[in-house]
Amino acid sequence: MTDVATARQPVRADAPAGGTKVIEMIGVNKWYGEFHVLKDIHLSVNKGEVVVVIGPSGSGKSTLIRCINRLEEHQEGKIVVDGVELTDDVRAIDQIRRETGMVFQSFNLFPHLTVLDNITLAPIRVRKWKKSKAEERARYFLEKVGIPEQASKYPGQLSGGQQQRVAIARSLTMEPKVMLFDEPTSALDPEVIGEVLDVMVNLAKEGMTMVVVTHEMGFAREVGDRVVFMDAGQIVEVGTPEHFFTNPHEERTRAFLSKIL
Amino acid sequence: MALIPPRPAPVPTSGPVYWLRRNLFSGPFNTVLTLVTGAVVAWALYNLATFVFVDASWEQVWRNMKLFGVYRYPTQYLWRPLLVAGVMLGLMGAMSGVAGRRSIIGSAFFALQGFVALVSVVAVLFWPSVRFLWPMALAIGFAGYLVGLRWPRVVRHLPWAWTVWLVGGAVLLLGVDSGGPFGRVPIRDWGGFLLTLILFTGIVPSFPIGVALALGRQSKLPAIKYFCIGFIEVVRGAPLIMWLFIASLLLPLILDVDANSLPAIMRAYVAITLFSAAYMAENVRGGLQAVPRGQSEAARALGLSAWQTTYLIVLPQALRAVIPAIVGQAIGLFKDTSLVFIVGLVDFFKVADIVSVQPESLLVTGGVKLEVFLFIAAIYFFFAYRMSIASRQLERRLGVGER
Ligand SMILES: Nc1ncnc2c1ncn2[C@@H]1O[C@H](COP(=O)(O)OP(=O)(O)OP(=O)(O)O)[C@@H](O)[C@H]1O
Ligand SMILES: [Mg+2]
Repeated sequence: MTDVATARQPVRADAPAGGTKVIEMIGVNKWYGEFHVLKDIHLSVNKGEVVVVIGPSGSGKSTLIRCINRLEEHQEGKIVVDGVELTDDVRAIDQIRRETGMVFQSFNLFPHLTVLDNITLAPIRVRKWKKSKAEERARYFLEKVGIPEQASKYPGQLSGGQQQRVAIARSLTMEPKVMLFDEPTSALDPEVIGEVLDVMVNLAKEGMTMVVVTHEMGFAREVGDRVVFMDAGQIVEVGTPEHFFTNPHEERTRAFLSKIL
Repeated sequence: MALIPPRPAPVPTSGPVYWLRRNLFSGPFNTVLTLVTGAVVAWALYNLATFVFVDASWEQVWRNMKLFGVYRYPTQYLWRPLLVAGVMLGLMGAMSGVAGRRSIIGSAFFALQGFVALVSVVAVLFWPSVRFLWPMALAIGFAGYLVGLRWPRVVRHLPWAWTVWLVGGAVLLLGVDSGGPFGRVPIRDWGGFLLTLILFTGIVPSFPIGVALALGRQSKLPAIKYFCIGFIEVVRGAPLIMWLFIASLLLPLILDVDANSLPAIMRAYVAITLFSAAYMAENVRGGLQAVPRGQSEAARALGLSAWQTTYLIVLPQALRAVIPAIVGQAIGLFKDTSLVFIVGLVDFFKVADIVSVQPESLLVTGGVKLEVFLFIAAIYFFFAYRMSIASRQLERRLGVGER
């Protein structure tokens, strides 16, 4: 039985006790003008955890994840990443961005640079690595995402699946502590979704801390530690993937899951 | 036994005949159109050719080559601009030799050499006053080319060679007060094609200024933003010819110097540069808007600073998108420099006007106006058309890997 009044109470998505918190969002609120996109978000993520965020279109998933590396600014509450609080302090923002990788739905590779240059740009410019070291690391991660032979091509010459894997390698080469994924497979053709998910699954199994906005419930079931369901800017329900497959409590969750499963 | 009936020979689907048939003679209407247009064009070309090769009197154009080139620059110092031009040709040759024939620089160089070769033939045959100069120019260019081809490593010395050329050339043209072979030639005596080229180089400083204005226009700081918007809109709001006037009157005023100490050429140069910068800014802005927001978001997410994001990610893509517009602007500016006659400068265009009313010109039956203007039209056309080819080559070249 669902109590409407309690359903409107914010649900806290706290990380299990005992771990080291890498991301902490405490009472975060955000508005676009009059529009309240994020309502009292409490979410924390432990080191090594994989948190999957699901929810209907427009529910604020992208906004939530983009607040974590300050691509969007929150107006109320507190966000702490790797011990550094996000404020207007540019140095803090830069530091957090160095430690968080982000993978976008539309890849956002730099079309005027080769794959290798795409990957080594930030390590050289931001981490101040030598070119040789950056290239060596870049090739290592290209190998890891399964496309070592594409290093000298331009993004436009690759398939969508390959582009997204380059984007993942680009983030990984910065050696981030957290990886954020915003619907990494929803712009891909069905037959190449698998190759990107495989990369992500391996990453999760190696212990990377990940926040993933996706509707690939197979991925959630395989490596997800917790699933967060959002609707209308609120966290509505939190649980293990198993919980969502077997007996989600909330009416809204059920209605949504029946559509995507 | 049934024989296979013979088939008609296949109609060719390529080759010039096929092309003609397909494009010019497909159907009666097209055929008539082709014939009529062809006749009109042929007739016009015939008349033009008759004029150029038979009726025209080119004497005055040849005799006044010095005026077209440098105008009032003293004849005894003529070797100085010639030396500057010669070194320039040699350096261009070396540059294209290193880059190779098929490169953009190479092909532009060969177009220029073809042009110089053509004029050389004319000079050798009919043109006593400059009989040696043009073949020499040709030879220097090719010598540079061969050097570049043979020793590609000269490329390392080219940047400073060009710098020396630029500074040394300016000093050489200007001269020093002491007199002798290096006597001072005040800037106000520079003119002709030399002046046109100098004014045209205003496109170079206008580029960074324009980019800065375009970026400033997007700034979050209101002071910068509104200054840039104001500048761009005000400058674009009036014709160049008016800015030339204003610059020649206003610039000495705002810089608080004596009007005569600031040569008219400099004032015109500033006006042209800033005018061009305002248009450049709008072109660049179009390019900036064409870069998807995801590009800068991805760059920021990787930890690049705002400035790094702009010059490593956004600007390269924005500029690539607006190369055609920028070259179009360069071509426009090249021709618009002819407006400086309005503030008393004698550029290439104005020389034509002057030559056509010389007493000797007036003695020629029918005058020489047409000859003179055909001549400068051919020169303007050569450079403008060459630039537009280079722009297309550049676009194709930079298209590599674009999505
Ligand atoms: N820059 C913006 N200005 C105003 N409103 C915005 C802006 N960006 C997003 N929104 C609104 O905020 C809400 C949440 O957007 P968000 O992109 O976070 O949703 P989402 O859950 O990621 O949806 P989707 O599944 O479609 O990606 C939407 O209603 C959207 O229209
Ligand atoms: Mg989204």
